Amino acid sequence: MFHGIGGTLFGIHVVNTLLILVTLGIYYFWAKTRVRQYLAGQTEMELDRFAYHGTAKELLLGTLKAVVVFGLPVLLMNFVRDVLDVPIAMKVIAGVISGSLIFVFFPVAVVGARRYRLSRMSWRGIRFSFRGRVWEMIKIFILGTFLTGVTLGLYYPFFLVDRQHFLVSHSYFGSERFGFTGRGRELFGPFVVAILLTLPTLGLIWVWYVARKRRFFWDHTNLGSARFSCHVTGGALLGLWLVNAVLLVCTVGIAWPWVRVRNINFTYRNLALVGPLDLARIEQQAQKAGSTGEGLSGFFDSGFDLA
Amino acid sequence: MRTDWEGIYLDGRTAARRSATIRLMREGIEITPAGGATQVWPYRELRQTQGFYSGEQVRLERGGDLPEILLVSDTAFLESLHETAPHVGPRFHDPGRRRARIRWTIVAAAGVIATAAAIYFWGIPALAALVAPRVPVTWEESVGRAAIGHLAPAARRCGDADLARAMDEIVRRLTAPGPPSPYTFRVSVVNRPLVNALAVPGGYVVVFRGLLEQTATPEEMAGVVAHELQHVLHRHATRAVIQDASTGLLLMALTGDVTGPLAYGLQTARTLGDLRYSRRAEEEADTEGMKMMLAARLDPAGMTSFFERIQKEEGATPKALTYLSTHPLAADRLQRLKAMAAAWTGTPEPLLPGDRWADVAKRC
Repeated sequence: MFHGIGGTLFGIHVVNTLLILVTLGIYYFWAKTRVRQYLAGQTEMELDRFAYHGTAKELLLGTLKAVVVFGLPVLLMNFVRDVLDVPIAMKVIAGVISGSLIFVFFPVAVVGARRYRLSRMSWRGIRFSFRGRVWEMIKIFILGTFLTGVTLGLYYPFFLVDRQHFLVSHSYFGSERFGFTGRGRELFGPFVVAILLTLPTLGLIWVWYVARKRRFFWDHTNLGSARFSCHVTGGALLGLWLVNAVLLVCTVGIAWPWVRVRNINFTYRNLALVGPLDLARIEQQAQKAGSTGEGLSGFFDSGFDLA
Repeated sequence: MRTDWEGIYLDGRTAARRSATIRLMREGIEITPAGGATQVWPYRELRQTQGFYSGEQVRLERGGDLPEILLVSDTAFLESLHETAPHVGPRFHDPGRRRARIRWTIVAAAGVIATAAAIYFWGIPALAALVAPRVPVTWEESVGRAAIGHLAPAARRCGDADLARAMDEIVRRLTAPGPPSPYTFRVSVVNRPLVNALAVPGGYVVVFRGLLEQTATPEEMAGVVAHELQHVLHRHATRAVIQDASTGLLLMALTGDVTGPLAYGLQTARTLGDLRYSRRAEEEADTEGMKMMLAARLDPAGMTSFFERIQKEEGATPKALTYLSTHPLAADRLQRLKAMAAAWTGTPEPLLPGDRWADVAKRC
């Protein structure tokens, strides 16, 4: 259940924007934290609200780290490649380094963002956490990208499921582990159908594919003996997106907070946790998590939220 | 004043949810969880993490990494807390201030509009004007070389020696009176029917065959080249890159985290935003180009007559449109140039007196 109101979020957004402008962007991290606190605090499950514990300082430091580790080297290499007057071999080397850094960046950002966000979320005072290793994710990305390329894209659903499996099955609520039981071949069928029907449906089939994917991901996710159940349909998703697009276009983006609230409401309306959740068994377990990956994905938004 | 409240106590170690009775006191809160011992939480050890907005429960935390938590759903609890212990001050949110918040939000909205306008109209151009002259010319040349490889590949360039000599002479005449420039200007004529010309950073100017054939005199060609040389000298391309990136950042700040369809909408806004800057750059290239013509003692009518003809042909020949699409001819643009030309009291000296321009212009 979500209690958030677009108007309140809009108010937060207006004040945030002013502060971002006058601080030349530095307030961005405080703004983001404030919005997350609000959204978590308005989300209720079984009578209790979620809480977000992240601080803007963590986000700022995480982003600075990301800029030093990835941003600056990539910029420097691109600069050598495109602007400086150096031999062609140097340019090729610079291009390869820059390309590899960007490639590695994605898995690092996805894992880092998930680790940070989950570790800063709690429900009933129990923290979530993510304990997967970045290196595992990099391996999944290298293998997935390679096989997707070799099979001309047909491997992509397997890659997606591998990623989802890794992300979900290393997530914890306190001491309780999330589980994921989906197999790549189950998503393969809808994926092929979507490709085949792209032309006849002018691409609209992909909305149904996204709905199918969401159902597939959630329906195969469980927490202990309780499992998630998602009943989002392609038609409902299309309706949501169309209205969102109209709202955004007609208001030149000002309706953004309402759109965000609509999206969250839609997600929770179509999502349920079925079966007994043995709360007595769950204990708090503190985990350390840096915010570098979180800062990284701030630029690319490749992370996604579980709660 | 109400001092006794009901709430929920979470111990921070298990997910158990226990109802608790609460009593507000002067120095702290007395909490008795169901089936547990009474404890006192001093105000100074507490922090409030939720309950700032309507519909949000009040959440008080105590302790470090794994805090104990007290939840009270009635916001009136905070009012009582402030009455019981007025000295706690802003440590706890005061719901009475929520009305003022609406007023502040409206003020902030006005502030956003004013600040964004100031940044767009003044801040970004000032930043570009400050940074662009400090970009080394060798960087611009390197970027320009890559761009020229795409725009004017060697196979497409007109290699005619007389034409090249004529173009070199035009550049020499135009640049001779001015101060020495860090750029080496190179004008390439490209064998494409487009009626257009453009400047690439680092001193490269590209003229398409279509435009060359439209010019009636060398002075008309000189007018076009002078305009493009001014783009190079004023580093308009470098400025455009800085301005485009800054406009993008400004829009990002205004709209928050944007993904999906809105991102495309934003791209449109960004392009529209850049349009104003590019129009100003065109105006600057016009007036500075005209000054360049006059300083070189070239007949200023060459510049205006070419623009005039192109403008008349707009619609008649679709080909002419390409020049106008990148060089919008605002009504006052031509007027201003004509006024500058009329105010000039010098006598023009001929350009390329030995050649018949009509022949040269066909050499591609």
